[in-house]
Parts: sequence; C-alpha cells; structure tokens
Amino acid sequence: MFEWLEYEFMLRALAATSVLSFSIAPVGAFLVLRRLSLAGEAMAHAIVPGIVIGFVIAGLSVASMIIGGLAAGITVALLTSLLARFTIIREDASLASLYLISLALGIFILSAAGSAVPLKSFLFGSILGMDDETLYLIGATATVTLVSFALILRPLVTSTIDPVFHESRSSRPGLVVHWFMFLVVLNLLGAFKALGTLMAVGLMILPATAARYWVSTLTGYLVLTFLFALASCWAGLVLSFYASEVPSGPAIILVAGAIFFVSVLFAPQGLGFLRRRRPSPR
Amino acid sequence: MVLSANELTLGYRGQAVVSNVSFHVAAGDVLAVVGHNGSGKSTLVKTILGTLPLIGGELSWHGGVPSEIAFLGQRSEFDTRVPVRLRDIVEMGAWSRLGFAGRIDPAGRAAIEAAMERTGTAAIADTPLHMLSAGQLQRALFARTIVQDAPVILLDEPFTAIDQSTEADLLALIDQWSGEGRAVIMVLHDLSAVLQHCHAALLLGRGTARFGPLDTTLTPANLVDLAYLTPSQAAWQERMFSRDVDSLSGGGDV
Repeated sequence: MFEWLEYEFMLRALAATSVLSFSIAPVGAFLVLRRLSLAGEAMAHAIVPGIVIGFVIAGLSVASMIIGGLAAGITVALLTSLLARFTIIREDASLASLYLISLALGIFILSAAGSAVPLKSFLFGSILGMDDETLYLIGATATVTLVSFALILRPLVTSTIDPVFHESRSSRPGLVVHWFMFLVVLNLLGAFKALGTLMAVGLMILPATAARYWVSTLTGYLVLTFLFALASCWAGLVLSFYASEVPSGPAIILVAGAIFFVSVLFAPQGLGFLRRRRPSPR
Repeated sequence: MVLSANELTLGYRGQAVVSNVSFHVAAGDVLAVVGHNGSGKSTLVKTILGTLPLIGGELSWHGGVPSEIAFLGQRSEFDTRVPVRLRDIVEMGAWSRLGFAGRIDPAGRAAIEAAMERTGTAAIADTPLHMLSAGQLQRALFARTIVQDAPVILLDEPFTAIDQSTEADLLALIDQWSGEGRAVIMVLHDLSAVLQHCHAALLLGRGTARFGPLDTTLTPANLVDLAYLTPSQAAWQERMFSRDVDSLSGGGDV
C-alpha cells in the first residue's frame, strides 16, 4: 500500500510539494482576499513564453526559467496597465487578451523548437520532474516568500482590508502590492514543474478559497490554507503514481477541487449542510 | 495654529479641480468640509494626507508635518470579507508605531481595550468583520482612530448610513478630541445636525471655495453660489429656518 514510498522520484516530489505548500499557501490566501484570483490565473499563463524562450535558449535550467518567467510577467503586467490607462479597454479585457496571446506564443515556440520536453508535462506537470535544481528553486522560493511575509504582513493586511487607510500612512503605498505580485510570479515558477503551467495557479487559489469557508481569523485562515494545499499535493501525487498516465498537475488540482466542494457544502460559511438551520443569517 | 492653507489649487495631473482654497485649523478646532459631488472634497483629503501633490498655493503645517494623521475613509472602500475580528481592526491603529515586527506592549494593549470600551465595542471585540453592522464597524474604526492618538484627525463622511444613536456617541467622541486639543477635519455629505459640533466650515463648489465661521459661510446665498443648493432649495431651507427661529424667539418672549 505504501510502495510509492520506495521510489526516489516520489520522495522528491513529496518533499518538493511540501516545501512549496508552505510558501504558495499564504500567497494564494492573499491573492484570494485581494480579489486577484483571476489576475493570478492570467499571470500564470502570461509567463509561459518567458519560460519557453528561456528553455529554448538555455535549456531546462532554473536560472533561464526564472529570468524568462519574471520578464514575461512584468512585461504583461506593464502592458496591461498601459492599455487600461491610455485606451478605452478596461484592465480585465486587456489582461485577458494579453495572456491568451502570451500563452499561444509560448506553446507555438515550444512546439516549433521541437522541444525535448513533452508538451503534456510542460502544461500539466510531471511526477518525474523533480531534479536537484527544481528542489533548490522551490527551497529558495519558500525562503524568499516566508521572509517577505514576515516583513510585509502588516501593510499587506492593512492594504487588503482598508486600502485608503494604508495609503494615508505609507510613503510608498504601491511597494507592498508590487512586491506581493512578484511573490505570486515566483511561486508560480516554483510550482511549474510539479503542476505544469496550466495547473500551477490552481494550487494557489483552490486551497485558499476552500479554507475561507471554515475560518474567521487570519491565523486560522493561513494555517488551514497550508494544510489543504499540503493534503492536495500528497493525495494528488499518490493518485498520479497509481494512475500512471495521469499527469500530477490535474491529479493534485482535482484533490484540491474535492476539498473545495466539501467545504462549499459543509463549512459554516459555505452552504452549511452540517449546521442546524437557523433563521436567515444577517 | 496647526495647519493653514493659502490660495491652494488642487487637482490631478495638473488639471485643477478647485482653486482659491484658503483655510486654517487650530488645535481643538473642528472644521467641516462641505460641497457638491466633484467639488474637490476627496481631492482636498488626499492633498492633506500628502498622497496628491499640490498644483499651486501653500499648505503649511505649523510645528512640522505631524508624525501621524489619523485618517478614516469612506466605508465603500473597506473590505469586510477578510477573515479578521473587530479587535484586529482596532489594533491596526497601533501598527505604524511598531514597524515591521514589533509587538504591542502592555500599555498599547490597555489603550486598545480602552478605545473599545469608549466606543462601545468591547463586548463584540471577537466578532468577525462580516458579521458587523455598518454602525458597529464605524464604532470600531473610531476606536482605531483613538488608538492612533494623532494630533490631526481627518474623517471622510463618517456619518453616512449610520444610525442616530451611533452618530450621537461618535459625535461625543469628536467633541472629546476637540477638548483634548486635536485638530479635526471632517468631510460631510449633507448639512445636518453634525454641523453643531463644528467650529468652522470650508465650502467647496464650482471650482472655488469659501471659508469661515459656520453662520457666515454656510449661508443660503453662498450655498447657491457654490452650487450646493438650487435657489428653490435654498429658499425652502430659509423658510424652514426662519420659522424655527420665530417659534424659538416667540417661546422665549411669552
């Protein structure tokens, strides 16, 4: 029953996703609270051509992936805000347009270059992909993310709840927001090997959304989001191990999806089917 | 004198919204800012907070820019779906003095508890944000303002959609701040009994401004001039007002 524990690639994948859960959970939690879930989704697709170009030029190295991914992410973010400011199209439509172009460009380049990496594992992740470099990347991502959160937690909370209050007392109010979006891109890159470019953002959003149904305090929210992310990764990896044709990304996200639906149905702040019916809540 | 403004021109990216704005606020003053939509009230708020640069004129802080201006914005900007409790909102008032990682000391704890007692929110301190009524949330935000302990307090439409008893409690708090020598600047959405608690008024409208004591500034003629009221509304208010005065003085004479 536990024969998957005997394979090194499984142990690597379990270790990698455990560390990843520590850092992707708080990022996802604030992405959801800041109502940026869809922007995060768009950003995940927008960074694909950067990763691909880095890959085509320099091979599957972590450095090229990070440089390419960050460059693509920043370019799309800047273009989006320029288009929203200077043309009639709103931010959501320009972001959607740009990320679709970006994603198509990435897949086009990857296919045209006759890549050695199968498209399937690029898009949906692979349980086999956890080489040393990937483990270092995830370790570094988690370190940067957790140290950053220790530093920006208070202004981040303030600007999430009461943005004008945050602006009134900070000399550079935009700094926290930009740093946070950098952490989003960094964690998407960290998650890319295990989950694939299409599924990485799911581990950011689904555990955070599911956890919100259960808790009313910030500490509780962050802890539960982490536990849901961890459980999704472990169960998803085992699922992918037995159904060997199934890439790890969809397997992990489906487990996260199951947790989400259970939460919707039974959690106190969801539909609350476990709760005794009371007169309508305020 | 805490703050004086001389011939300010306010606006965005060089585009003036309002000009000729002059006023002054002393310690203990409560200044009401009144004007129609788009008259520049929010522009003035941002300029005082320092988040928007002046286009022209001079804004002088006497005795230096205050280390902290306690600001309470409009509740439409506030997100109540974040999983925190009322107590956490009040604590936010102490965060700017703590830096990145400092902890709140016992004196700070006591100040937070006292602020919740003062605003009548101590009993609901652990209630999640999304369960609070508009009045309870506003009480919590006033408690946060107390904790900020700032010499200058800036309130943007603090009584919009608030029940009367909450309004009365919070107005008593504003009187107390005034008595403690804090300068209070309050943007008001309508002319109401709240004005009784103000010492001066700044009327904005039609791209210009009037400033002075309430009774010489918020006159029907000025309110019509600066497009806050139409002439017929002003005439109606004047009729109602004079009837009030007549009945009062009539009662006194008899």
